[in-house]
Amino acid sequence: MESKVLKPVLAVYVAAFILFLYGPFFVLAILSFQQGPEGGPQFPIIEWSTYWYRHLFGFTPPSRIAPLPVGEALVRSLTLAFMTMVTATVLGVMAAQAFRRRFKGKGLVFYLIVLGMMVPGVLTGLGTSLLANNVIGIERHWWSTAFVAHVVYTFPFAFLVMLAILNRFDNSVEEASWALGVSPVRTFRKVTFPLIFPGVLSAMLFAFTLSFDEFPRTLFASGRDQTLPLAIYGTFSVEIHPNIFAFGVMTTLFSFALLSVYGILMALSVRRAKKTAMQEDIV
Amino acid sequence: MNQSEPVFRLENVTRRYGDLTALDSINFEAPRNEYLSLLGPSGSGKTCLLRIIAGFEKPDEGKVYFQGKDITSLPAHERGIGFVFQNFALFPHLSVFENIAFGFRNGTMNVDASEIDKRVGEAVEMVGLAGLEDRNPEQISGGQKQRVALARTLVMQPKLVLLDEPLGALDANLRGRMQTELRMIREQLDVTFLHVTGSETEALAMGDTVSVLDSGKIIQTGAPDEIYNDPSSSDVALFLNRFNLFEGKLEKGSFAGPFGEVAVKKVQPNDRDMYAIRYDRTKAYKKGQTVPGPALPAKFLASEYLGSSIIFLFETVDRKQVEIDHHLSFGDPDEYKVGEEYVLSWDPAQALVFGKEATQ
Repeated sequence: MESKVLKPVLAVYVAAFILFLYGPFFVLAILSFQQGPEGGPQFPIIEWSTYWYRHLFGFTPPSRIAPLPVGEALVRSLTLAFMTMVTATVLGVMAAQAFRRRFKGKGLVFYLIVLGMMVPGVLTGLGTSLLANNVIGIERHWWSTAFVAHVVYTFPFAFLVMLAILNRFDNSVEEASWALGVSPVRTFRKVTFPLIFPGVLSAMLFAFTLSFDEFPRTLFASGRDQTLPLAIYGTFSVEIHPNIFAFGVMTTLFSFALLSVYGILMALSVRRAKKTAMQEDIV
Repeated sequence: MNQSEPVFRLENVTRRYGDLTALDSINFEAPRNEYLSLLGPSGSGKTCLLRIIAGFEKPDEGKVYFQGKDITSLPAHERGIGFVFQNFALFPHLSVFENIAFGFRNGTMNVDASEIDKRVGEAVEMVGLAGLEDRNPEQISGGQKQRVALARTLVMQPKLVLLDEPLGALDANLRGRMQTELRMIREQLDVTFLHVTGSETEALAMGDTVSVLDSGKIIQTGAPDEIYNDPSSSDVALFLNRFNLFEGKLEKGSFAGPFGEVAVKKVQPNDRDMYAIRYDRTKAYKKGQTVPGPALPAKFLASEYLGSSIIFLFETVDRKQVEIDHHLSFGDPDEYKVGEEYVLSWDPAQALVFGKEATQ
């Protein structure tokens, strides 16, 4: 009865969702195989070719289109995302751990932390830049001011992930460890950390991806050397060629690879127990 | 340490949570090598008491002694007191063997690998878990989890083990078996068990000594039969869940209750006047029959068959439920009609009377 109406509506919704999620990527992916160097970033495809991929890696004869200036920016962005990931996750775990206890001003501190992800990014970036230049008097770099801005931005995400994990954490396993004569520090390493590890992985993933394609904060806070999103945006202002699309496909594939690593690590930590269970069943 | 010295002692221990006093200046101790059970209704502070002895919480006032030493400010991991949790709290990421070896591997004790194998092996044997060493906690049953939790604690050879409602998460059948097993395991070792429970039958069955905790105070300590036959206050009688309790007024050796006036000889001090008669000493009579003592009119409500006995539920005029426990070895029970009026009575010599009078 009800499903006669509901089901088609939901089906349309899901279809639209998938279309808008993957559609842009598919269009870019198709256009990245445009003929080069004359072919532009629009349909129709004049001729299928891998020209723009070869162009990206400098395997094509010189032409009027300059190679995409993203090599250094890519390394920079990866390094920055990695630094941000480690710092934000460590801080997130520590802060969430602190929130398991009661302390004065707990509610206020919570909102102060979460504010980091609410404040408009452009303002934070501009503010960071002003703070560095005019107040403290230091130069802006992607590894200093932009790094701080990224940590401030990603830390609340890591914190919230860990808070959710630790909320469900059963304190009695830690107490059981203490009662067996194991110090709190070692208990954290041997009991708490292995149990919250899936959460730590998620926090790391959040921090890395958020930092990797962060734009507004980095725009003002990073100084002279650009990160990848900035470098790509910079090329838009001249002229758009399908090499951007080729690059987009490459980075997306990289992201998928990263997600797969995450998925595998996650599955491994869950499956270890299940595997032994299956062996038991066979025996 | 000599044999008579208590293994642990609480001295005026008080613990408050905001306005709530969970433990109210408790003095409590346990001898070495004994099974002690602590009976308390929920909210009586029994778990709080255990957590303070274990060192998971600090008392606001008072001192905790263990083997003669003041350990009030010692952190839990330096106390050497075992703890068995109601939910077992096994380490889910470690095998049964590694759960039991955890204290050796990660504690300050320096035990070499072959010694660990031997000691863990013995512990596994003692609690009957042989063959399950490589399983993960999620692959074993509740009773087996309980044994792992126990083995993990006992392998460290503590002098005191605190058990927080250890049988609460098991089904009735298993609970009975584990009761016997817990007692047997303890008797093989020189260790004191402090077993906290909200179940009066469990407390009486398990303890060499039973203490009753209520509203943050220990209100009675004694052998199980002592507690059962001679509860020191109407509250203890209430927790035992074996007594019909009546409010009333005690004056000049006579108790006036819903069953009329009864002469009483012995009165125990209490904060209010109460009259208690055990379920199995209460009997129902048809209207007009001669009764052995006080007469309490009541309507029959329902019966509960328990196998070895039957519980009959009656309701008095003022809507209070009264229970009669008829043991079937005393012969077949009488038939009662639901909704019909009967007269409940008992031998007044078997009643316990508590009164304010006796306090003075």
